[in-house]
Amino acid sequence: MTDFHKTIVVTGVGVISPYGVGLDCLQTGMLSGKSCLTPMKDVYPGFEGTIAQVPGSLLHAEDFNSRYSRTDQLAVVATRDAMANSGYESSAFRESGVLIANTVGGLTEIDTGIAKDPAAWFRRPGRLLRGSSFPISHVADAVGEHFGIRGPRCAISVACASGAIAIALAANLLLDGAAPMILAGGSEPLCPFTLSGFNSLRALDPNPCRPFDQNRSGLNLGEGSAVLVLETQAGATARNARVLAVLRGWAMTNDAFHTTAPHKEGSGLADCIKLSMEMAEVSGDDIGYVNAHGTGTPLNDIAEANAYEIAFRGRKHPIPVSSTKSYFGHCLGAAGALEAAITIMAVRSGALLPTLRLTHPIESPGVDWLRGAVKRQPLPLAMSASSGFGGSNTVLVFGSGLP
Amino acid sequence: MTPNSPPVTITGIGSVSPFGPLAGLIPPSALEPSAITAWTTTGLRRAFLVQPFRPASVVPGLKTRRLDRLSAWALVASSLAIQDAGIDLSQVDRSRVAVVFATAFGCIELTEAFYLSAAANGWNGTDPSTFPETLASSPAGHVALFHGLRGPNVTVSDKHFAGENALIQAASLLRHGQADLAIVLAGDALVQSLYSWYEVADLLSPACYNSDPLPEAGGSIPSGFIPSEGVAALVMESSGRDSGSEEARSGARCYARVGAGRWAAGGQLAEIIRQLLGGSGPRLTVCSGNGAPCATSPTTAIAREISSDGAVIIPPQLFAQGLAGTGALFHLIMALSSQPSGQPGNGQALLLGTAGDSGFAALPLELLRR
Repeated sequence: MTDFHKTIVVTGVGVISPYGVGLDCLQTGMLSGKSCLTPMKDVYPGFEGTIAQVPGSLLHAEDFNSRYSRTDQLAVVATRDAMANSGYESSAFRESGVLIANTVGGLTEIDTGIAKDPAAWFRRPGRLLRGSSFPISHVADAVGEHFGIRGPRCAISVACASGAIAIALAANLLLDGAAPMILAGGSEPLCPFTLSGFNSLRALDPNPCRPFDQNRSGLNLGEGSAVLVLETQAGATARNARVLAVLRGWAMTNDAFHTTAPHKEGSGLADCIKLSMEMAEVSGDDIGYVNAHGTGTPLNDIAEANAYEIAFRGRKHPIPVSSTKSYFGHCLGAAGALEAAITIMAVRSGALLPTLRLTHPIESPGVDWLRGAVKRQPLPLAMSASSGFGGSNTVLVFGSGLP
Repeated sequence: MTPNSPPVTITGIGSVSPFGPLAGLIPPSALEPSAITAWTTTGLRRAFLVQPFRPASVVPGLKTRRLDRLSAWALVASSLAIQDAGIDLSQVDRSRVAVVFATAFGCIELTEAFYLSAAANGWNGTDPSTFPETLASSPAGHVALFHGLRGPNVTVSDKHFAGENALIQAASLLRHGQADLAIVLAGDALVQSLYSWYEVADLLSPACYNSDPLPEAGGSIPSGFIPSEGVAALVMESSGRDSGSEEARSGARCYARVGAGRWAAGGQLAEIIRQLLGGSGPRLTVCSGNGAPCATSPTTAIAREISSDGAVIIPPQLFAQGLAGTGALFHLIMALSSQPSGQPGNGQALLLGTAGDSGFAALPLELLRR
């Protein structure tokens, strides 16, 4: 029998992405097959490559505090959208928790002028406030303060697995009774710091990326934010809330293999997948779709393919897998949350999005690489997988209904 | 302990701080801030600084040449905590060991270096080896890599209560069976840009600008704060993870049991704490300071309000206050260090941090006989 106090449900999803604001906007854009990837030089002169940017006009509607960084602004918009999507008044969130992931904090507001004489830089008008948004925790405070939320709040930063880890930790905290609801997700802006960093690592594909293709040559960076409203089934029932999806299982592991490269065999991610299915009390055959990490880098994608081979060994049919980073790039600290939103979208609609530009998939007999047309089928359970620098892996299992 | 929440036990302590790299408790002693020499200052500027040391001389085989100080300290502190806990990692299922790291500013040293390289060479000429190490989660990743820890690996940040947050998250992972053992770390490194921000924001104590001795232990400075740096590490274990009993691993040293804590950005603090402690006040409160330099409400005043007569209140430690949101582990270690050895534990205790109108963090504790 289902224990409603131990079942975590999603009762709201908020998104700001290069497609616009809202899950419907994201769904319409992605189902149409539209890619938001554009040449970087148009946006960031001096850089070459391809990115996906959130239109600036989407941020102008909100009345932001002047010390909010772009990271904060994206998170505030996604949070407002999540609240609206949940159907609750914003006052209902007063005692909620806020767990927002990111990797760059307020680096969007800091230029290279700070390098030689920080004190002089901070003394210029407005700079002290801009500098105050630097810590990665600032985004959680910005969301909390903006909406008058006074529950537990913190930021999570675990490289590209951050957004998914925020959701997993929020689920733990809900089971602990730390808050009646938690707004959990991630926010990540484009900024010269990260563009330069990935460029220096030669990790960027100058053209639109091709995750899981044999001819893939790197990732594209994107930006956005996604925030989920999470609560226990008991809380949702008491509030008569609409349940969008059930978070059936979650797990976190680490490769302990290399600072930037994944384990070649994908063993850490495979373990993570198995643990998440164990928690969800389901088998590999029960999972209908995996929204992959799928960055498009040579090392990640082969390791990930190996992980699926190991974790889903014995399945009756190959596991359907796609990377939605092919639509609007890799949103780093927000990626796991945005992909959780896309996975929820999949279990609700039964529409499995293909990987764009996937013409010569990695040979992996246990995997059904989704490409071409959108596939439609009933989808009781789907999985979102995330990994990141430092070896972290996180897997979230979402279901369309109660177990 | 809180009903229905099995406690977890602190079985090992390690730290890198101005007191040096240490396994176990920090022997109580006076600490004066030292003059900053790592960058050019206009006149005397002081802070509680970690004196340079060779990590490999503390942890044989440790290679830290490419790492910033924060990652190096995390590696040393975690090694010392594991050593203090008497754990042989080769005998442990390392897929069941979590790492939870709390930081306010992450790898700010290399973030500064990355900006310097961009200023010198342009954004297209930055150093590829530096970039991945600028991530706030790098220290936790290095701890996992060095010790081969394959469990959950989490980095948290909170303006006021990052350290307390790490303790709460680690305890949660242990209680939910997502790990059997957790290495909890908290700390930050002090760099020029951070010190400059504090200075321009007028947050620093006059003690940062003169060489007058600090007040006696337990005393406070009149205004502002003295920035500090360092990393503390604790080993936390599920009680009875091997035996199924109430006690921790056979032969383990137990410093304290930690109950299910709470933190929030607002709310009725006294009421929440009484609920946490099952209706009673704590017999001992370890104040973890105001968390951030700009907070205004003294934690000790709140501690007096919630404590019964005769209860012991250990005020915030100046050094740990200087770590902004990541000082909680040091507050706890220094409080444990100040307890007389051989005495019975103090029973129901509380680790308490407040931040004016910005909230609180509270963890029920049971300090155990040493």
